Amino acid sequence: MSDTRQINLHVFRHNPLDPASVPHLQTYQVEEAPGMTLFLALSELRERQDPSLAFDFVCRAGICGSCGMIVNGRPRLACRTLTQELPGDITLLPLPAFGLIADLSVDTGTWMRAMTERLQAWLHPADPTLDLSRIEQRMEPQLADEIYELDRCIECGCCVAACGTAQMRKDFVGAVGMNKIARFGLDPRDARSDADFYELIGGDEGVFGCMTLLACHDVCPKELPLQTQIAYLRRRMARAGA
Amino acid sequence: MSSSTTLTAAAPPGPTNPTLRRPHWPARLDLLQSASGLVLGLFMWGHMLFVSSILISQDAMWTISRFFEGYFVLGHSVPWLVSVIVGCIFMLFATHAALALRKFPASYAAHRSFRDHMQAMRHEDTTLWYWQVVTGFMLFFLASLHLGTMLLRPDRIGPYESADRVWSDCMWPLYLLMLFAVEIHGGVGLYRLALKWGWLAGANPARTRRRLRLAKWTLTAFFLVLGLASLAAYMRIGIQHAPHYGEHYVPASLGGGAQ
Amino acid sequence: MKIVYTDVLVIGGGLAGLRVAIGARRRGLDALVLSLVPPKRSHSAAAQGGMQASLANTVKGEGDNEDVHFGDTVRGSDWGADQAVVRMFVNTAPKAVRELAAWGVPWSRVRRGDREVIINGQRITLTESEQAHGLLAQRDFGGTRKWRTCYVSDGTGHAMLYAVGDQAIAHGVPVHERKEALALIRDGDRCCGAVVRDLASGELIAYVSRATVVATGGAGRLYRVTTNAVICEGMGAALALDTGVVALGNMEAIQFHPTGIFPAGILVTEGCRGDGGLLRDAAGHRFMPDYEPEKKELASRDVVSRRMAEHIRKGHGAASRFGPHLWLDITQLGRTHIDRNLREVKEICRYFLGVDPAEAWIPVHPAQHYTMGGIRTDASGQCPTLRGLFSAGEAACWDLHGFNRLGGNSVAETVVAGMIVGEFVADFCQGPDGEINVPTGLVRDAVAAQQAALDALIGGGDESADAIRIAMQQVMTDRVGIFRDGRELAVAVDELEALLLRSRRIGVRSEGPGPNPELVTAYRVQRMLKVALCIACGALARQESRGAHYREDFPRRDDAAWLQRTLATWPDPTATRPTLAYEPLQVSTMELPPGWRGYGERNHIEHPDTPARAATVEATQTAEQLSRHALQERLMPYRHLLPPSLRGDNDRLGDLPR
Ligand SMILES: Cc1cc2nc3c(=O)[nH]c(=O)nc-3n(C[C@H](O)[C@H](O)[C@H](O)COP(=O)(O)OP(=O)(O)OC[C@H]3O[C@@H](n4cnc5c(N)ncnc54)[C@H](O)[C@@H]3O)c2cc1C
Ligand code: HEM
Ligand code: HEM
Ligand code: SF4
Ligand code: F3S
Ligand code: FES
Repeated sequence: MSDTRQINLHVFRHNPLDPASVPHLQTYQVEEAPGMTLFLALSELRERQDPSLAFDFVCRAGICGSCGMIVNGRPRLACRTLTQELPGDITLLPLPAFGLIADLSVDTGTWMRAMTERLQAWLHPADPTLDLSRIEQRMEPQLADEIYELDRCIECGCCVAACGTAQMRKDFVGAVGMNKIARFGLDPRDARSDADFYELIGGDEGVFGCMTLLACHDVCPKELPLQTQIAYLRRRMARAGA
Repeated sequence: MSSSTTLTAAAPPGPTNPTLRRPHWPARLDLLQSASGLVLGLFMWGHMLFVSSILISQDAMWTISRFFEGYFVLGHSVPWLVSVIVGCIFMLFATHAALALRKFPASYAAHRSFRDHMQAMRHEDTTLWYWQVVTGFMLFFLASLHLGTMLLRPDRIGPYESADRVWSDCMWPLYLLMLFAVEIHGGVGLYRLALKWGWLAGANPARTRRRLRLAKWTLTAFFLVLGLASLAAYMRIGIQHAPHYGEHYVPASLGGGAQ
Repeated sequence: MKIVYTDVLVIGGGLAGLRVAIGARRRGLDALVLSLVPPKRSHSAAAQGGMQASLANTVKGEGDNEDVHFGDTVRGSDWGADQAVVRMFVNTAPKAVRELAAWGVPWSRVRRGDREVIINGQRITLTESEQAHGLLAQRDFGGTRKWRTCYVSDGTGHAMLYAVGDQAIAHGVPVHERKEALALIRDGDRCCGAVVRDLASGELIAYVSRATVVATGGAGRLYRVTTNAVICEGMGAALALDTGVVALGNMEAIQFHPTGIFPAGILVTEGCRGDGGLLRDAAGHRFMPDYEPEKKELASRDVVSRRMAEHIRKGHGAASRFGPHLWLDITQLGRTHIDRNLREVKEICRYFLGVDPAEAWIPVHPAQHYTMGGIRTDASGQCPTLRGLFSAGEAACWDLHGFNRLGGNSVAETVVAGMIVGEFVADFCQGPDGEINVPTGLVRDAVAAQQAALDALIGGGDESADAIRIAMQQVMTDRVGIFRDGRELAVAVDELEALLLRSRRIGVRSEGPGPNPELVTAYRVQRMLKVALCIACGALARQESRGAHYREDFPRRDDAAWLQRTLATWPDPTATRPTLAYEPLQVSTMELPPGWRGYGERNHIEHPDTPARAATVEATQTAEQLSRHALQERLMPYRHLLPPSLRGDNDRLGDLPR
């Protein structure tokens, strides 16, 4: 049995609704347990030391995308970050680029909904009169798998938080937005053409604003192929717009 | 509305496509920026090779300089030919710079937030972009000056002429800076270009990226060494030639006084 | 006081809530969704394995249809389900899965030709037909006679929730996120909205609506070891309970999933076993065939969970620092298969256990997984005792699942119920009952009552909410778990009662504006305890074993005494126990009279009406040469219960000339 380690959690604290609150880092000590994730560490903190600490976990299984935060400088899903992989001093900050609710809790939902509306990021059916009692339309199995590959995005916002462009331009759609368009662009059930997609992202707030910093690709917890998808989209949009 | 008796995949009554058509220029500007960057980047490789001909011999450098003045085709030097090339490059450079300016942080606050972000993330490609901006900004002044000189005095390019400029006209600190700036900027630029358009992605894009990164650093290192060596050569010649400042180089084969 | 008016107020932004809202919106109503979290983070996203719909596309699904799906579901429920609802469900499921396909869900598709699969630990070659190529693929799931579970690799719930969530946005359905319904607003026997707390600002808001739909999902967090998300705290059930008039049905019916990873409880999908994964004990022995020679690892969940617990009790569990557990072995499926079809499982193993499932066994233990019970509704999804209140999804006891739900039937229920209930909600709003006239005073009082309750907590007594919550979870896991018996349950009820009393003296130290997570824990734990008491009291009272409810002191299913649905209400807010009542199930109208499930013990006590009904059914089946639809219609008519647009038959590959 290895001897347990004391870890220092330096946690960002701020309640924007409280005029007396000043943003600061608060340090807590937690005794590390085997297999301890940041979810377990923070939950224990709230249960035993500071019930006022605000953070967001939902699935605690790396599925839902709620728990993105900046862990020692990098955006990550806290629930699936094992403390044993980190040094003894861990700094936790809320994701930038999103509205701060309190402490580590940020409002990614409003951002994602606005992005979805702006990019019309839902399937625009090619055949809206499809009768649902009939046998479904066919699709090549390989294509279905490829679409799913891009559909796996969990809207965690890590890519936006990691993107330097998004830090500078508030209207930038981010890798998450570009990936959505790539996903619907791949789907034969979607009626839209490249010219239609160009209307949505063919600008400097869209694919031409991306400066290929690739931090999105490197931090995406779902390991989406953002690097190649953004490049592919850029080629298509350059062709559509040229 | 009553419910129909067959169930269909009805389209939503939600927002529809905007009627305003988006202009073409964002796509075109992006293409232009990349194209100008690509040409400049490739040009710089060639440029560095030409300039480094001084490492072979002063005659080699002389030959190449004369070549661009049409000497070997026309039988005599026409320096304004160089001015034309410089002019073209200057325009490309200006275009590229103007397009790149759009990508610069729009305000001090934007710059600040990018810097803070970069320092916290310590992510290579993000950091390199920052250096691209910084070096681009430097080149804006340095290269303008250099190109101006080349444009106005195309006749003063040659082993002695250049060496005098480097040493006696005290241009070497500027060249030193410019060398580092352009090698970093161009190297990163070409690397980013390949990723940006997904060139060479192949079956394993992650591996391609690793290889591109390696290639980029190798090339940058190579051209830096080459450039430093050339610069040193010009400086050495410049020191030796200082007493004869202003004299043209004439190769020995033409009866000149070259060593 | 802030008041928001809407036609339809949907509490819950999971699959069920969103689909109801889209249905109502399509009928031209204003529908508004409330959610604790951004809707795409609802726990529906966690469903990995798939959704059942009898499409019969694959060879192993050939011959499948609504009738087979119906039989599996009723048997799975241990005859606790409402059979008319099951019929409504099985007829709508194919439409639902096809609607989702039309909305963009990237369902995995059938590939023509040969394919190697592992069944019962043996490598077998399946040959898919040319005609099936490109249609929705289906996999095997526990408790089903055909391969019926449509899936999207192993991110089915995620893909479904995103498609439905995006369609909700496309339809312009507003979602008010980070809003928690604290209480329903009631005007006599009419529900007219909810009092809601903004979880970001702490502010209370009144939502007034013609129809209110509770689709708040499950209640797993009543237990310490659960596969559920941290927001699955049974708040929908508590909302209903607090009205005093709405009943919760069958709350004691709690499902435990065989394969939660140990000790965290994170689920690894049933698909692992469906695809050929095996359960092993400390010695590496595959023990399920010893107990269930026929179905082995693929018997229904309750059976497998119980067998696992039994095997651990016999001392065959692998020892660990956190207690004994068993192993799930998927190594023989091969890396390619795991990488392609079980990737989430691989990720979970890597991130939460640090193991590679292609090489190492996965430590597993049964964990709380699903609440079959919930807000009791009629077949249209409406609550019989409070007009204008509807419920759908896991929060409801529509009663599709009875005492045990089949894997893949739950996400199917959410969208199917959403389609059906959405229409009835619209009918309700557009009919004479939809009119609403709420006095402002009533709304103000409702908000004031909630405000007073919150104020009382801040700086209140000296009890800690967290301590009470942890104690409650422990009691539930230890005494109201997989194996139950009268003595333990009686102790559990006493302990929970004591905790409920203590919870009335909780004091919250944090104050001021904003989210105040300490306050949230405090008011939730008070509510959770009431729901926990409904479960424990229901379990104590039910002196039989049925589906997931297993009483060691009453190991047999007793149709004679207990073919009844438990109804728990809480009429007196100062009481410390719910009031239990029972609603009998009518054997005389059942299409499938009670019998043996085809797996598990074969020792139930028969209901007196069963032989007669069984004879009638058999006679009808043999007497006339009826088509299957006509026969079904004769035995138990149900189509009139469906909205007209959902009554039609479903086409299948097998119905067309092959
Ligand atoms: C790990 C796991 C795997 C599963 N796999 C499968 C599977 O493979 N196949 C299958 O069929 N089923 C599966 N299930 C079950 C299935 O996922 C759920 O039963 C189903 O998704 C529940 O959907 P829902 O819409 O009813 O609720 P949820 O998706 O849980 O949504 C509940 C919603 O209610 C909101 N809410 C709750 N309380 C309040 C309140 N007080 N005020 C406002 N909003 C509130 C929440 O924010 C949330 O949006 C699985 C379950 C788990 C836990
Ligand atoms: C005034 C001088 C210059 C400035 C201000 C400048 C600035 C920039 C900037 C900011 C970028 C990044 C653009 C982006 O990320 O989208 C860029 C890209 C690039 N630059 Fe320059 N640059 C200058 C000169 C040069 C020169 C002399 C070269 C030749 C070596 C060059 C080669 C490139 C290349 C290859 C790219 C990549 C193009 C792309 O990303 O599309 N630049 N430049
Ligand atoms: C057609 C245009 C150009 C011509 C003809 C030209 C020519 C020359 C010549 C002759 C020299 C040798 C020194 C001298 O004579 O002063 C030189 C050096 C140099 N030039 Fe250019 N140049 C051109 C464009 C550029 C551009 C666009 C850049 C980069 C932005 C650049 C960067 C440099 C550098 C860094 C050196 C120093 C090389 C060393 O270290 O040895 N040049 N150039
Ligand atoms: S693309 Fe990746 S990082 Fe970005 S939101 Fe989606 S899952 Fe998160
Ligand atoms: S980090 Fe940002 S700039 Fe582009 S490549 Fe990724 S979106
Ligand atoms: S809590 Fe769901 S991804 Fe971390």
